[in-house]
Amino acid sequence: MILRAEALARQVDYHGQTLTILHQASFSVAAGESVAIVGASGSGKSTLLAILAGLDPASSGEVWLAGQALSALDEDQRALLRRDKVGFVFQNFQLMPQFTALENVMLPLELAGRGDARAAASAMLQRVGLGHRLDHYPRHLSGGEQQRVALARAFVVRPTLLFADEPTGNLDPATGRQVIELLFQLNAEAGTALVLVTHDTALASRCAAVYRLNDGRLQREAT
Amino acid sequence: MSRLSLQMGWRLLRRELRAGELTVLLLALLVAVTAMSSVAFFSDRIEQALTRQASQLLAADLVSNGNRPPPDAWRQQAAQRGLLQAEAATFPSMVFAREQAVLATLKAVSSGYPLRGEVQLRTQQGLQAGRLAPAPGELWADTRLLQKLGLRLGDSVRLGNVSLRLSAEVLREPDGAMDLYNFIPRVLFNHADLAATGLVQDGSRVRYRLMVAGDAASVAGYRQWLAPQLDRRTRLEDVEEARPEVKSALERARRFLGLTALLSVLLSAAAVALAVRRYLARHWQSVAVMRALGQTGSEVALVWGSLFLWLALVGGVLGTVAGYGVQAGLLLLAQQWLGAGLPAPALTAWLSGPLSALILLAGFALPPLLALRRIPAVAVLRADMPTSSRSLLAPLLAIVALLGLAAWQVGDSTLALWLLGGLVGFLLAVGLLAWGVVRLLRRVPLSGAVGWRHGAANLARRPWLAVIQIAALSVSLMALLTLTVVRDDLIGAWQKSLPADAPDSFLINLQAPQQATLDALFAKVGRSAPQAAPMTRARLLMINEREVKGSDYQDERAQRLAEREFNLSWRAAPPPGNGFAAGRWWPADSTQPAFSVEQGLAETLGIRMGDVLVFDIAGKRWQAPVTSLRKVAWDSFQPNFFVIAPAGWMGGESASYITSYRAPDRDFNNRLVAALPNVTVIDISVIVREVKAVIGRLALAVETMFSLALAAGVLVLWAALAATRDERQFDVALLRALGASRQQVRAVILAELAWLGGLTGLLAGIGAMAIGSLVAVQLFNLPLAPNLWLPLLGALCGGAVVGLAGWPLLRKITRTPPTDILRNS
Repeated sequence: MILRAEALARQVDYHGQTLTILHQASFSVAAGESVAIVGASGSGKSTLLAILAGLDPASSGEVWLAGQALSALDEDQRALLRRDKVGFVFQNFQLMPQFTALENVMLPLELAGRGDARAAASAMLQRVGLGHRLDHYPRHLSGGEQQRVALARAFVVRPTLLFADEPTGNLDPATGRQVIELLFQLNAEAGTALVLVTHDTALASRCAAVYRLNDGRLQREAT
Repeated sequence: MSRLSLQMGWRLLRRELRAGELTVLLLALLVAVTAMSSVAFFSDRIEQALTRQASQLLAADLVSNGNRPPPDAWRQQAAQRGLLQAEAATFPSMVFAREQAVLATLKAVSSGYPLRGEVQLRTQQGLQAGRLAPAPGELWADTRLLQKLGLRLGDSVRLGNVSLRLSAEVLREPDGAMDLYNFIPRVLFNHADLAATGLVQDGSRVRYRLMVAGDAASVAGYRQWLAPQLDRRTRLEDVEEARPEVKSALERARRFLGLTALLSVLLSAAAVALAVRRYLARHWQSVAVMRALGQTGSEVALVWGSLFLWLALVGGVLGTVAGYGVQAGLLLLAQQWLGAGLPAPALTAWLSGPLSALILLAGFALPPLLALRRIPAVAVLRADMPTSSRSLLAPLLAIVALLGLAAWQVGDSTLALWLLGGLVGFLLAVGLLAWGVVRLLRRVPLSGAVGWRHGAANLARRPWLAVIQIAALSVSLMALLTLTVVRDDLIGAWQKSLPADAPDSFLINLQAPQQATLDALFAKVGRSAPQAAPMTRARLLMINEREVKGSDYQDERAQRLAEREFNLSWRAAPPPGNGFAAGRWWPADSTQPAFSVEQGLAETLGIRMGDVLVFDIAGKRWQAPVTSLRKVAWDSFQPNFFVIAPAGWMGGESASYITSYRAPDRDFNNRLVAALPNVTVIDISVIVREVKAVIGRLALAVETMFSLALAAGVLVLWAALAATRDERQFDVALLRALGASRQQVRAVILAELAWLGGLTGLLAGIGAMAIGSLVAVQLFNLPLAPNLWLPLLGALCGGAVVGLAGWPLLRKITRTPPTDILRNS
């Protein structure tokens, strides 16, 4: 198992009251497997994703990412683990506005201290069909292009595990479909495990397993 | 710091600069560094010059300076001890050439002068430098005299009764190079010609200097021998106490420039703080992305830390270059006090710019940078900025940074604290005033055009930003208004306070038998000659049998008056224009001992009616009671005296005579000096003109520094406008979506700028008006009616500055299509 979660719970204090936004969620992803988490807005999808990826701690329960128990790591150690194993794709792309497409893709390679950052990033952008836009800044790219840059950035380090948070949420349906095709292609090529968070059940059905999050409770759906 | 962080910081810097994200921050740094480094360069070079010139300032190792020729015994003793010696006698007198007369400072030097330092000359053979003195029959003059009289080398110049050949132009005179009053030209000639000039007579104001130099032990021995023999009219000067007046004047100038630089730094700091906040507020998401991609908190802080480090370096280097330029300009203005060819600035002065940029950024950018470390990776999933906890670290660090800068600038930490406190207090007071006005703006129901109302509402909606902008801009604007408008007002008021027929010339050094010549000269132009008053130098020895000592007085002026000689006169009738505070004037034929004392002097020295005073006049003691206290109008341009005695009692003493008059025609003074070569004519109009020119130069130097402060104020404005740009953009989009035309939108923005500028200028104008009135009354005792145009002028200036500076920044907003903004938000 590349990712395993046991009895995850998350409570937050809101105006003196304790709200539970995640109840005893358990979950696992095998290497190279794709898993979708679906749910309506406000069902706790983003919270679960943040906890699984080690961006946010759980109130109770445990996450093992690549065999490491996240609760045993501090924030900086979790960052190093993310750097080595994890890729992200976000709904709002989250490219660095001050860097070109190429530099955005180079970023994780540089953080990992890779000497061939430029060549690898350039090749990856060719792969997602943006070889002609290497030196363009995010603000000069369309939404679809920005998300393809984000995909290139996520896959360029060949992560063991990719988290995708509503990757088509900000795109029109046609562009969204193209991006999803690309996502699955890259996933297959790299043999990366995928955790896809979405409210789109059609999209979710392309994954090997689908979990539904309802009011903070996670249940596996029959496929 | 890792190489990667530095590289990324550098890349970020280049990108952000190109995108304009760091423009205000960089400019604020530039202004602060320019201000700091220009003053650092300026004071460093002056200090070096002073140190280097310390012994040259005396032209000797030890000098006795008195108003009588040094006794022969002093010279013999110096010779016995194997010391080099030279003599100089310095006094003001008229110099006559090409049928014109000019007041100059004359210095007769013996051969051997200067004992230390070098004279630099331009002669007909070219440039010369060394220990040189003019030969008998020759005369050297400085550039000013050559220019004033249109002289060429080889011309003949008359001093009193002798004509001397102008053989050299003095480019540098060791013990005269830094004369603060040297708008009066200087002349050097040989001591052997002094007696023949006939210029040294009773009552002449001559300073005699005996200079010695040699090995330290001999000089110290001589000093020990000489000190007990000095009377109170003679003082010893050595390298330590050389030219204290020059030192303290330059020190004051340095501190004042330091203070204005500090104002620029303070305002720039506000701009830096605003700009850093805005920058980080716009970039927290980049940080969150980096965190999500696996950068640790410290790595993130390092990347942005290195961005600011690079920024400090760029701002520091560019600002230092600009500072060097400003300093060169300042020195050009002060050249007549400092001479040409100052030493190059020391390394520390070069470092001051980059270092102050670093301190400034550390003080204001470090706290938010450290807060970056706490931006959690999960923020990447959120839409709004995570709230960072407010800590005291930021203001504390900023204050420490500013204090450090101030202490460094002024070179005295206690003083720096006071100065900084004063500045901050002043800014706070202005800020408080601005706060009141802005609140008023919010309360007062404004009617009229939509633009004006919305503009005022916009300003009042962000009261803190408005206050910061108004305070920052109005302080610098006020300083500039004071320096320009109020200065002219003051000079105008002073000139107006003089009657049209006020005397414009003083004549001193007249001898009693020469009154007839004077009468004849005036008779020729059909006027009656003014009556000259006798004048002699007197020293106050005792008040009621108590010896007068400078150390008995707290007041600096009283100490000086008690130590030095002052002018005493005698007459039969009371001086015209004098009033009496106490007592009565003596009968015209009185031969009884009596003194009439000026009221101010009496107060300063603690002299009361009936006190018995003892004066020493040329070695003779004169004792009499005080029989009246007089009120004197010092600005009447009439000869006035502190102490007067009855003519019937003292009248037999030798004296020189003084009088004042209005010159009947332009050439009159030249004719007068030609006929009476020993007298000195002081043309007040010339001096007023020279003083005005000097003040103009000084003011220009100070204005330069305040212009930097104004630039810093504009940057605060920019930083504040930039900080609200996104918000404004949304407001404008909304207005446009609701159907406002672009013209209406533009009117709202322009109106806000107009309100801001108008209020700023109004405050500045009122402040300048208050300062002007205060200065006029307190310092100059002048009836200066407040210049009611100042608030209006200020408002116009403020409107212009804010409008011109602010509009380019906001114009773009009105052009953005509303859909773009609403979609993006």
